[in-house]
Amino acid sequence: MVGALDDLRVIDASGPIGHYAGRLLADLGADVIKVEPPQGDPARAYPPFLPDVDAPEHGLQFLLLNANKRGVTIDVADDQGRDLFLRLLATSDVLLESWRPQEAAALRLTHDDVTAANESIIHASVTGWGLTGPRAQWAYADIVGVAMSGVMTLAGLPEGPPEQLPDLQGYHCASIDAAAGVMAAILHRDASGEGQLVEVSMQEALSMAQETAMQGADILGEDRVRGGSALGTFRMPGLGLYECADGYVFLMAAGLAGSGFPGFLELMDESGEAGDLTEEPYATFINESMNRGLLAAMAQDPDAMQELTKTLNHIDEIVQAFVRAHPKQYIYERSQEHRVLAGMVSTAQDISASPQLAARDWWNEIDDRGRGKTLRYPGPPWQLEGTPATLRRPAPLLGEHNEELFVELGLAPGEIGALARAGVV
Amino acid sequence: MVEQSSNGAPRPLDGLKVLDLTWFGAGPIGTRALANLGADVVRVETEKRPDGLRIGGPRPVGSTSLNLSGYYNNFNSEKRSITIDLTTERGHELGIDLVKWADVFASNMTNRAVQQIGMTWEQVSAANPGIIGIYQPMQGLTGPHSEYIGFGAILSTVCGVNSMTGFEGNEPRGSGTNYPDYVVNPIHLAIGVMAAVRHKRRTGEGQLIDMSQLESSVAALAGPIFALDNGGGDFRRAGNRVSFAAPHGAYQVEGDDRWLVLGCLTEEHWRSFTDVSGHAEWAEDERFATLDARKQHEDALDALVGEWAAGQDGRQAMERLQAADVPAGLVQSASEVLADEHMADRGYFAYLDHAEAGRRAYDGPGFRLSKTPHDLRGPAPLLGEHTFEICTDLLELSEDEIADLVAEQVLF
Repeated sequence: MVGALDDLRVIDASGPIGHYAGRLLADLGADVIKVEPPQGDPARAYPPFLPDVDAPEHGLQFLLLNANKRGVTIDVADDQGRDLFLRLLATSDVLLESWRPQEAAALRLTHDDVTAANESIIHASVTGWGLTGPRAQWAYADIVGVAMSGVMTLAGLPEGPPEQLPDLQGYHCASIDAAAGVMAAILHRDASGEGQLVEVSMQEALSMAQETAMQGADILGEDRVRGGSALGTFRMPGLGLYECADGYVFLMAAGLAGSGFPGFLELMDESGEAGDLTEEPYATFINESMNRGLLAAMAQDPDAMQELTKTLNHIDEIVQAFVRAHPKQYIYERSQEHRVLAGMVSTAQDISASPQLAARDWWNEIDDRGRGKTLRYPGPPWQLEGTPATLRRPAPLLGEHNEELFVELGLAPGEIGALARAGVV
Repeated sequence: MVEQSSNGAPRPLDGLKVLDLTWFGAGPIGTRALANLGADVVRVETEKRPDGLRIGGPRPVGSTSLNLSGYYNNFNSEKRSITIDLTTERGHELGIDLVKWADVFASNMTNRAVQQIGMTWEQVSAANPGIIGIYQPMQGLTGPHSEYIGFGAILSTVCGVNSMTGFEGNEPRGSGTNYPDYVVNPIHLAIGVMAAVRHKRRTGEGQLIDMSQLESSVAALAGPIFALDNGGGDFRRAGNRVSFAAPHGAYQVEGDDRWLVLGCLTEEHWRSFTDVSGHAEWAEDERFATLDARKQHEDALDALVGEWAAGQDGRQAMERLQAADVPAGLVQSASEVLADEHMADRGYFAYLDHAEAGRRAYDGPGFRLSKTPHDLRGPAPLLGEHTFEICTDLLELSEDEIADLVAEQVLF
């Protein structure tokens, strides 16, 4: 079995905003060639680092996102380097890059220049703001996209600052959209022979991640704010974050799906930890009244409200005591076995040790000979039965495939040596 | 420059037939991308158990109609909707007829629900051997947690979003949204489907795509896990800081809860920032002379940047910093994003007329194609809006047959 893109060559000249796009295409089988400046991609210097390995080969973020790619160094700002780059483009199906418009113009590598070198190429541009509009030339960083897209205003505690998304999600969302755009363009090119420009703005790629905020502003004229709670004046037992013996779980034992709070009560009762909740008046209250609509209606009556709050607090205290007495994995797995909506707040260690991911044989180990290490990589986003995504090679050492690629392009050994001495490659 | 081709231009997935049994966010946004690329996406829904997003909001105050949820409508533009009760025998037969019609079958229900409605991969591929089937339950089709249930809020905790967002010591509340539902999982889905479509067009073969939302999410959040597994140390939450840049964060500016974000990724950015902020002396301070030094003295650095920011008008500061090529932005609210002049100039949001909801904003495409546009040519469907036409055109039922099925509550 072979990958869905195993006949395609992708030139990945992108910076960190596009790395994950190149990685996705590589995982699907494409021959992705990472083109870096002679001093290396900036992400090579991003901590944390692989122990006992020196710069520029130790940046773990770079290794993660550039596995499965071959690597060459070309100074595209140099005339000879540019010529070499254009020769490489002529042998390729896709170009992925992240130059702002003024940078592409200065390099003489605009879409027109690219298509002059290869008429049918698919040219994917991934930048902070896209190629048009009043801010097309603006500088970007991941956090800038997250903030300007409306996503960051939703994260954080009311008393603290808005919070960024973890692990460069602005870049990665832009990359995921770029990879999707390239896939669509490949299907069109397969059918027609015609290439085209794929354009991604990080700000736009993230906008969908505002969840309901955009529609709330459009329909109701109201802006969602961070730390907002839809629960009103009382805490609904079994709904929200609970502290465990060793961390947190998130429970939605509230009737949206699964067995709801009655299922959770059954779980507590099995180990004799349900207190008096299986007795009256709680048993009937839990089975008949404890959903948000009914409670909201009851809360309209101030006298009933006081009694209601007392009852809910009592139930919640028992839930809290139960959860606090157990590790998060226990609460998560036992709840799910009772069909209660529950998730544990997994740390990196928990995910690394996940029995589910292990059982599905999701992780890949790869022998990174150039760095003298065996590395453990996460698997792909999908298991494609007919055209599997595969991890075939470690991230390239800086310039690792210069000779191999340049010989393929027809350069003589003497020419390659001269380019290297001139600092072009 | 990228100008989307005019309405009516051919699109890359024209002719692709998608039977869409996904619901909520992670599936429907992915199949929406396919629809906006030209695919004919038919969503099978029921009135008995409608998509939870049809019940939710935002929606006009006091409304209850299943057609008025902005949450649902934004994620389903340009699809068709047929209401069939697949749990009835005749309904299941119609479902299988639609499987035979389709090139792609998509579901993000639990494995148990898929079995209950008789749409497992064995059943679907038996009915249509060349079909592509993408199944996107929370944790995949196999393994000890494959029957686990969840929405994006559950998945966010399990996949690490909560433990990785925010400041050390605070409750792990996460991103304030069901983050993986909106880009990561749906657009990964669209990529996987298009990979399989390519293979099908080349060979005629369909295939099963077993897509675990957990795996898909972790794949995109893997930095801290990859580092942990390979000797890079344990992850610690760092609020708005990153390992490779400083200053980097959100700084409160003048006004009511207004925040400027700043990411000085290079020494040039840092020096330009000190110029624009009128604090050239910071660039000379040995505590801030290199990235390593700034990371070491980041509390002091952030305190100084914060003091400077407190006296700034956020928008003006952003513009002055950007004029000096420093990555800076504002924490925008949704209404600011809707009115954002740059996005408006690029025509990002689509305003589509919907029979009940009226003219409403829809998120535009996350990527643009210069020759075969990815665009939104119609609003979300009303519940069951296309039942009759699909029964007539695709299932070739007569009007009498349709009427009988409605009476039997197989169709709605």
